[in-house]
Amino acid sequence: MTNATATAPADFAAYWQRALDELAHTPAAPEVSPLPIRDTDYATMYVVKLTSIGPYRLFAYLSIPRGEGPFPAIYFTPKYQSVPEPIPQGSPNYLRSRFATFALAARGQRNADSPYAAQFPGLLTDGIHDPQAYIFRGIAADSARGLEYLLSRPEVDAARVAAIGNDIALIAAALRQGVTHLIATPALFVDTADLAAQASDYPLEEINDYLNLYPDRAAALRETLAYFDLSGFADSVSAATLLMAGASGSLLDANRLSAVSAAIKGDVSVYESQSSSYKDGMRAEQWLADQFGFAEPILPEHWQ
Amino acid sequence: MPRTIPSDYRCSVQKPADFDDFWNAVLADAARIPLNAESAPDPLRTSDELETFQVFYDSLDDIRIAAWYCVPRERQGKLPAMVFLPGYQSDPAVPKDWARRGYAAIAAAPRGKLRSNAQFNPGYPNLLTHNITDRNTYSYRGFYVDAWRCVDYLLSRPEVDPDRIGVAGSSQGGGLSVTAAAMRPEVKAASIGAPYLCGYMDAIALTHTYPYQEINDYLRLYPESRADVERALAYFDGVSFADRITCPAIVNIGLQDNVCPPETGYALFNAIASEDKRLYAYDGHGHEAGRYKHNAVIADFFRKHLQDAGD
Repeated sequence: MTNATATAPADFAAYWQRALDELAHTPAAPEVSPLPIRDTDYATMYVVKLTSIGPYRLFAYLSIPRGEGPFPAIYFTPKYQSVPEPIPQGSPNYLRSRFATFALAARGQRNADSPYAAQFPGLLTDGIHDPQAYIFRGIAADSARGLEYLLSRPEVDAARVAAIGNDIALIAAALRQGVTHLIATPALFVDTADLAAQASDYPLEEINDYLNLYPDRAAALRETLAYFDLSGFADSVSAATLLMAGASGSLLDANRLSAVSAAIKGDVSVYESQSSSYKDGMRAEQWLADQFGFAEPILPEHWQ
Repeated sequence: MPRTIPSDYRCSVQKPADFDDFWNAVLADAARIPLNAESAPDPLRTSDELETFQVFYDSLDDIRIAAWYCVPRERQGKLPAMVFLPGYQSDPAVPKDWARRGYAAIAAAPRGKLRSNAQFNPGYPNLLTHNITDRNTYSYRGFYVDAWRCVDYLLSRPEVDPDRIGVAGSSQGGGLSVTAAAMRPEVKAASIGAPYLCGYMDAIALTHTYPYQEINDYLRLYPESRADVERALAYFDGVSFADRITCPAIVNIGLQDNVCPPETGYALFNAIASEDKRLYAYDGHGHEAGRYKHNAVIADFFRKHLQDAGD
């Protein structure tokens, strides 16, 4: 990990190196079992359990296409919701015929919610008074562990590994080498405290709730969030990247993401949302198909 | 170019002859269970402008259900009230923004959702197919009642005007809004977005995305159950409920919805009995169903039917 941003704490790299060292000393101990109800004629689904720092046992869905590999892979990193999805809602199941897919449930999410069951709202501020106690330190480590596991699979084409998700996708790509392509839609960790002051919707409203009840913790909250701001991770990302920004004028528009996009080492395309999940989704699917050398993306029926 | 969606699409579901008997019996079962409502102040989410409560109440099968309830601090007289119903895999949002607009607002977490999953927790995916061959134990039998009981909670609150209650939601929240408007005459206006749980058997042929894909997964493993599945789901299909909706209703759909096929949205809208209904079909939009533009339509709709109705 390196970082050269002005806003990151001086010990940013050391903070994350300690987490990675802790991870390195924690055996993953993967356990793989079939999940026949999610099998298809073109793919086989498995449940994977593996251990991250703590130690904490995680859960994931792994889908492998039938036939001869290796296959390009998609790592669906944990979203800010309780439910881990085998593949994201709305994605065509036939995607699993082309890609090995791996969807991780980080600590606190369903199926990885024992002993810690995250609350929504609530997760974003859990332990935020202390960088060492902040729950997202563990979640970031979880995402790195998931990536390590996916890359260990013999069915995966290491030259074509995409990470897709929100902030955690970018953090995973920064913490571990191996992500060749990244589609990230930042939602939480860009100027978080300042953004929350302009927001009234959850999850950022969780920050406002917290500061309303604990105004004396404002400095500590900012100190913790500085270790998680994407601007600190961006210069460790070497993957070709599609950065999905909010619509022009929204809180996380392209302008707000400019420091992040400028720092990413890989080729970066920035896309501003058209306020349409269809148009935004089409852009992401087409970009990935182009990057991976496919003539056409695999699309859901109503996008064809 | 994406396909053209026929606006006169009709779903294959046949409303069972004993549909009303079935649901009247369920409601009778529910009526025997006292609400036992608890409203715990939530200081973390309370502010100078509004109060937030963590609400709990009993529902069918004696399952304890959680909800968020927000009310504006400054109020004169009785308040119009809103019920917000959640999506399939999302947890309910704290409905602060509607309290800021002058409503008493409740957002339910039906069984299996976080804070309502101690006694019932089939998980996601799985909720959609939990006991899917048996109408008497299917997951949504209780799930629907949990949602409807928000109305009972509102009726128990002294600050709520019982004649000005609305219901809203999108995706699963849209499907639940259909059922709530159909089964609870206290609901005076309904906003239904990208409705899920409508035209199940059509949807699993029209799309192969989750969550509907859960049913395809199930039928791939248990093909012999198809007739039983179809028979049971007819009791839970929003299209079967639609002819009981007589309150003003608006429906928004995205014509490129990759989760809830727009064909089923059209079929639902066409089946709604209300004379005061309007469809907003957003071309170039997916499952968000034009939300960024449509939110203003929803606000105006409830202002007209709930807030202005109290003047």
